Amino acid sequence: MSNVVREDVTLEQTWGELAQTLEAVDIDGALQETAAGAVRATRAGLFRRAFATLAGVAGLATLAEDAAAARGQTKNDIAILRFDLVLEYLQAGLYTEAERLGELTPKTLGWARVVGAHERAHVQAIKNLLGRDTVPSPTFNYGKVTSDEKAFIKTAVGFEDLTAALLKWQAPRLDSRSIVAAVVTLHSVETRHAAWIRHIVGLRPAARAFDQPASQQRMAELIAATHFISSRPRVTGRRRPKYTG
Amino acid sequence: MSRRAVAAALTIGLALVIAAAAIRVARDDRAADVGSSGRSLAAAARALPRPEGPAFVVGKPARLRADETRARSAPVVRPAVAKAAPARSAAAVAPLPVETPEGTSNIVLVLGERTRSGTQWVRVRLPVLPNGRTAWVPRAALGGYRFVHTRLLVDRERLRATLFYDGRPIFHAPVGVGRPEWPTPSGRFYIRDKLAGFGDPFYGPVAFGTSARSAVLTDWPAGGFVGIHGTNEPQLIPGQVSHGCIRLRNADILRLGRLMPVGTPLVIR
Amino acid sequence: MVWSRGRSERFGDSRDDPATSTRRQLLGRSVVAGAALAGGGIVLGPRARWAGAAPSRAQDVKIFNFALLLEYLQAAFYGEAVRQGALRGEPREFAEVVASHERAHVTYLRKALGGRARARPAFSFGDATRSERRFLETAVLLENLGVAAYNGQAANLTTKALAAAAAIVSVEGRHAAWVSDLAGKEPAPRAADPGASAADVVRSIRRTGFVGVS
Repeated sequence: MSNVVREDVTLEQTWGELAQTLEAVDIDGALQETAAGAVRATRAGLFRRAFATLAGVAGLATLAEDAAAARGQTKNDIAILRFDLVLEYLQAGLYTEAERLGELTPKTLGWARVVGAHERAHVQAIKNLLGRDTVPSPTFNYGKVTSDEKAFIKTAVGFEDLTAALLKWQAPRLDSRSIVAAVVTLHSVETRHAAWIRHIVGLRPAARAFDQPASQQRMAELIAATHFISSRPRVTGRRRPKYTG
Repeated sequence: MSRRAVAAALTIGLALVIAAAAIRVARDDRAADVGSSGRSLAAAARALPRPEGPAFVVGKPARLRADETRARSAPVVRPAVAKAAPARSAAAVAPLPVETPEGTSNIVLVLGERTRSGTQWVRVRLPVLPNGRTAWVPRAALGGYRFVHTRLLVDRERLRATLFYDGRPIFHAPVGVGRPEWPTPSGRFYIRDKLAGFGDPFYGPVAFGTSARSAVLTDWPAGGFVGIHGTNEPQLIPGQVSHGCIRLRNADILRLGRLMPVGTPLVIR
Repeated sequence: MVWSRGRSERFGDSRDDPATSTRRQLLGRSVVAGAALAGGGIVLGPRARWAGAAPSRAQDVKIFNFALLLEYLQAAFYGEAVRQGALRGEPREFAEVVASHERAHVTYLRKALGGRARARPAFSFGDATRSERRFLETAVLLENLGVAAYNGQAANLTTKALAAAAAIVSVEGRHAAWVSDLAGKEPAPRAADPGASAADVVRSIRRTGFVGVS
């Protein structure tokens, strides 16, 4: 009995519903900078690159300290990886919280359980690759999305479709071929995630013969529209305590 | 020509055309096949380069532990009034400001969620008297959830604090608690904030604020909150020595400071 | 042509310049092999890092022709399954939808390759298209194979070809998850889909016995 294909909801529609404003969100500059492809050139960074060039020319075998330079990652690639890392932080956090709250329906919860584990693994992989060039996770406020079935489905479908589209946009823009090789292994899994959640809710898992890319700017707009990124609460202080003692 | 002859000629002609097409197709197939399909496939594979080694290999995905302790807390981001029930019309229980008296974000421990008429409400543990009070606030008044694996147990009889991680004890220390006239309250609370670098040896190097309040020192400045902190009188510990606070020796409070995040649930018995 | 080289200098030179690749490989080899980290990524040490081959239009042709082989196989398989008429309900719908996708992939690749497109081989699917269970198992195999094949060659493609390949493998990944779910298998069994070498892909194809006159 066919339960597939109510309506063919396109990528435009799903993320369009979610993206209501075009405000740009600055999370310590990480999102903005990565979207623009710029990396703050620190003195340490310049030193690492200089050292790496020398090491490469001299054919030195050991670069005990400077893994980043030894990796030979370009600013462009670092910016792309950082952007992906923030996105993976967001998704990992979203699905992990949904699993912990345990309020979604069983099939959706089962999806969140498996996919959350994948996204957490993606976070680790990208963080390890970036090494010292990594960025910390923003603070996220998912509101009711992690416990409201309808809101969660909408968000999950939108993010998985757009993440797959984003990786298609990024892959040809990467300088390093080994990073391309790594990113495509994530990309196909995100398309599986997307098809799977669509199948769960009765949307067509594969609507078209060819999927389109979507830019980092598009993804930044979606993230901003969710208002998931929030400021970090100040839980530590230096004031003198006034406790009863 | 007779009609039969025409028909025959046409039939033969058609047959020849079909035969020619079949031969062409067969030749094309053989061109792809080069004798045997196996050889053709192998040739196809040989023509290709090896895959580029990927810059990372993703490890095995790790599921959340089933026995995880999952206490969650959230900061108050909009001033709110906590209600006795998840409804606007319910009785007010306490105001929830955005900041604590220490100037830190006001954190509440979250106990559950419920949606009523499209609005999501959250049941929270309140830092108010009487101790152990819970009430409801709209989810929208709170920020993002933070989950911790830890739980702190303070035993007033044994004069001992134990920190658990996912149910396993990872820290013990002797404590000083409130004197009989200023007892440390019992019940369920949580760690609200953490202060350090304030330069007051009475409280030691680190002081945690809790949601527990002295039931007797109700006029204490800033609400009479019970803290967990160091001391400049370590020789008094363990013992019933304070105005209600839980005191640890400085080395112990420093250790606890490295292990216990703000938002950790606290049980005092 | 699909891989016209109107790209910016940035990804043109740095990726295709052999000197740069060599330096990068040299630097790569000097990374201290990363230890496996709990639940997460392993930064590859020098031992595990194959070097593919620098992209070029000629290489794109070979890779696309290989992809075309797979697309021919899939299109024929689904076409045959639909014709056999043994499928009902959602599996049939899957076969019909995916057949049209794979045909579109074939058309695209043939057009892109022009005169260099390989001819369609002969296929015979035996009972793989004659029962729902065998159909689903085979579809899972073929879709996963397609993903692995594309992922294995992605980094060997020029920029434009990579963009095109990504648009296709994206859909193969969706197919794979969809039909895995139909078959009662995990739609996304791993956190990442590793690429396979062409040799491994061919081995898998040969094992099916689908290719060639039987």
